[in-house]
Amino acid sequence: MPPDTQSSMPVSAPPAPALPKSGRRPRFVDPAAVLVLVRRGFNEILRVPGASIPGAIAPIIFLVGLTMVFGQATDIPGYGTDSFLAFVLPVALLQSAGFTGGATGVNLGRDIEQGWLDRLLLSPTSRSTILAGLVLSAAARVLIPVPPLLVMAIVLGAPMPSLVGVLIILAVVPIFSAIAATWASVLALKFRSQQASPLIQASILSSILFSTSYAPLELLEPWMRTIAELNPVTYVIEGLRQCFVGEISWTVTWQAFAALGGLGAVFVTLALLGLRRFER
Amino acid sequence: MSHAIVTRGLEKRYPKGGTYAVQGVDLAVDHGEVYGFLGPNGAGKSTMVRLLVTLLRPSAGTAHVAGHDVVKDPAGVRASIGVALQDAAIDPLMTGRELLELQAVLHGLSRRASAPRGALLLERVGLSDAGDKRVGEYSGGMRRRLDLAMALIHEPRVLFLDEPTTGLDPSSRLLLWDEVRRLRDQGTTVFLTTQYLEEADQLADRVGIIAGGQLVAEDTPEALKAQVGHPHVHVVLTNAADRERSLQVASAVGDPRPGVTDHCLDVSVQDGSLELPALVRALDDAGIAVASLDVVRPTLDDVFLQKTGAHLAEEAVA
Amino acid sequence: MITPSVALALRALRLTLRRPQFLIPLFLMPSIFLAVNTGGLSATTRLPGFPETTGFLAFQLAAAMVQSLMLSGLQAGIAVSLEIESGFFDRIVTAPVPRLAIVAGRLMAAAVLGAGQVLFFLIVGVIFGADLAGGVVGALVVVVLGALAGVAFAAIGLAIAFRARQASIVQGLFPFVFAVLYLSSAFFPQELLGPPADTISAFNPLSYIAEGLRAPIAYGMDALPILEGLAMTVAVIVVASLLAVAGLRWRLADAA
Ligand SMILES: Nc1ncnc2c1ncn2[C@@H]1O[C@H](COP(=O)(O)OP(=O)(O)OP(=O)(O)O)[C@@H](O)[C@H]1O
Ligand SMILES: [Mg+2]
Repeated sequence: MPPDTQSSMPVSAPPAPALPKSGRRPRFVDPAAVLVLVRRGFNEILRVPGASIPGAIAPIIFLVGLTMVFGQATDIPGYGTDSFLAFVLPVALLQSAGFTGGATGVNLGRDIEQGWLDRLLLSPTSRSTILAGLVLSAAARVLIPVPPLLVMAIVLGAPMPSLVGVLIILAVVPIFSAIAATWASVLALKFRSQQASPLIQASILSSILFSTSYAPLELLEPWMRTIAELNPVTYVIEGLRQCFVGEISWTVTWQAFAALGGLGAVFVTLALLGLRRFER
Repeated sequence: MSHAIVTRGLEKRYPKGGTYAVQGVDLAVDHGEVYGFLGPNGAGKSTMVRLLVTLLRPSAGTAHVAGHDVVKDPAGVRASIGVALQDAAIDPLMTGRELLELQAVLHGLSRRASAPRGALLLERVGLSDAGDKRVGEYSGGMRRRLDLAMALIHEPRVLFLDEPTTGLDPSSRLLLWDEVRRLRDQGTTVFLTTQYLEEADQLADRVGIIAGGQLVAEDTPEALKAQVGHPHVHVVLTNAADRERSLQVASAVGDPRPGVTDHCLDVSVQDGSLELPALVRALDDAGIAVASLDVVRPTLDDVFLQKTGAHLAEEAVA
Repeated sequence: MITPSVALALRALRLTLRRPQFLIPLFLMPSIFLAVNTGGLSATTRLPGFPETTGFLAFQLAAAMVQSLMLSGLQAGIAVSLEIESGFFDRIVTAPVPRLAIVAGRLMAAAVLGAGQVLFFLIVGVIFGADLAGGVVGALVVVVLGALAGVAFAAIGLAIAFRARQASIVQGLFPFVFAVLYLSSAFFPQELLGPPADTISAFNPLSYIAEGLRAPIAYGMDALPILEGLAMTVAVIVVASLLAVAGLRWRLADAA
């Protein structure tokens, strides 16, 4: 076979690059790698025309619709507010976060099917870096649908949260999105395909709704009250709700973060195990 | 470490299915060698690659790549190797340049160093002009070249290419072959799987033939071909009726046997060109009309046939 | 005409039943909302103006049913638009099959699936303690109305699918299903809805379809809501089927 003289590949050897020494142990979490992975996560919504719309619109429809339909519920004593909109706004915020996190898992399922995850696993990056890239991209992406949702709610009469309230919202919502993404990744790694999508979305939605989502604890049916008391997401909802209903309390705040921390610790462990077991 | 890749009794059984995809493979690939792993569909080539690059865990046996144990020190293996898998997943939403920079950062280059490195590799695989186009708009050949560039981002010492030219047009295939030769000249060890005999013959210093998960033969292409023996002359007769007679006549020159159709016969000979005139004369003297005569030298397919009893589908390569 | 329609109907049913990712949302999503609404909002039956019912679960069953039926109508639309995209549709159309069989087959499948869906929620309701006000006869009425409503929503789904340029557009209508639900009396009594749903729901056919399904379960065998629901369902079937057939014609003319 004669060498191809038309070759567009130049034959001169490239200058030696500044390469890291091979054999170096990868860092537990490599910030530069996380950053490029997060940036890739944004492609799904920024480079696909119209892709950010359903995630932004669905929680608004849910919030407005629910308020229209069940708005009279706050006439029952116990809600602590006469605005059902303010009462369910935290649920809409968490749905937004849960939807974004769930989408991360669905996309991971697709990436597994197509072999993209293999590419990531083949690099010397640590598994924890790969997971961080996935879940932090969910945390960052949820910041796109949240402002329109909040503005819409305030326009429709929800009270303006205080500065501390805004800070709590801006912490809790992205963290919840990251946790939902971690859980969704656990399922995606288990099923290794997009077929896990209904399970991902249904489980996240249930975790949000089987709580004090629509009514305070005392007004729930007894079975629902039991579930809500056991469901850590109840504390997350209450943590957000205090920004719109009643006063912000330290106890409710730290309970919310403790619930997030507990959920995060469990799911991160499961996800790292799943990534490690992925090569079987 | 004296070898770039060493395996001992390497085995893989998938949880589903239960049969061996790779069974008892012992390999030793030298540094700087191009090792061709040849086998038909389902032979176990990709499984072997995935075992060696730490994407699959062996069911039994050991494997060392670049001096690192694939089970005990997968991170060490990953840092030393470059891989272009068979079904290359490339994010269609990203540009070639972005993908190379991402790959560079994943391999521990700083973000500042990754941009010029990406540009360099784009140029090297001839994608500089397409670097800022989204990969979704690339042709199959462009994707393969980008995939190769990504595998080379950190100048790996050992490169794995799983069927790198399947589905490429002849000119893209030649470009890739040139690149592999150049990498060998620079001292990179290349483990290359292929279904194409010619590719193994052209590129590999040594060829391993895998069938049904087992390594059935291994040597240099020349030695393998010599093993199957001698060339033969393929004779096509004008009249099928002459075949019985021609078999007798040809036995004076070599060792004839009937061919696949009743018009032809194959005469095994020592050298090929030397015996050709004698054979022509003998047939002519006997008044047997010949449509064509060809010297056929042994190919890797003959090796394959001899070792496994089956043909490898040969594909014409321009 | 009958034979190919039945064949296409069986095919559509088989495909739906074989794909859990299609089937699960139809039953799971409305069940989740049913449980959450019942567990969280049963106290609202205390609100002045809430009608006499056999219970909030019984009241909400009709909401779960119409939600499930609407989702399966949307899915019928998605399935058809995916078939159009993948080229399968071209093959059916060029086969010696009457054009109308394409629509009729899908609608027959929707009737069977719709009956199954309402039956599922009736059984769930009974298991979790809902009193069926209309008894066995009422349950039969619900199954018949459910099958018809399944046809109605599937016809709407098809009418949209034939006109849509891409399957992703049909898939994107998911939130719209909920918008229509919230603008009806499916989830809550019309007198207690807030503006503008209180007004709009009176003109929303879905309100009547939901009330028709609800009466035999939660109120008793009142002829008026049942007949109104039946009439509205049939009206939707007629209008949407005509639109679907017109859409199919348009699509075929477009393809030619
Ligand atoms: N994930 C898997 N689970 C179960 N069996 C598998 C899996 N992957 C491959 N196999 C089986 O293992 C055997 C070897 O497959 P492998 O992909 O390694 O072959 P290959 O030589 O790469 O073939 P090809 O030329 O088609 O790429 C085949 O019988 C295949 O069916
Ligand atoms: Mg393969």
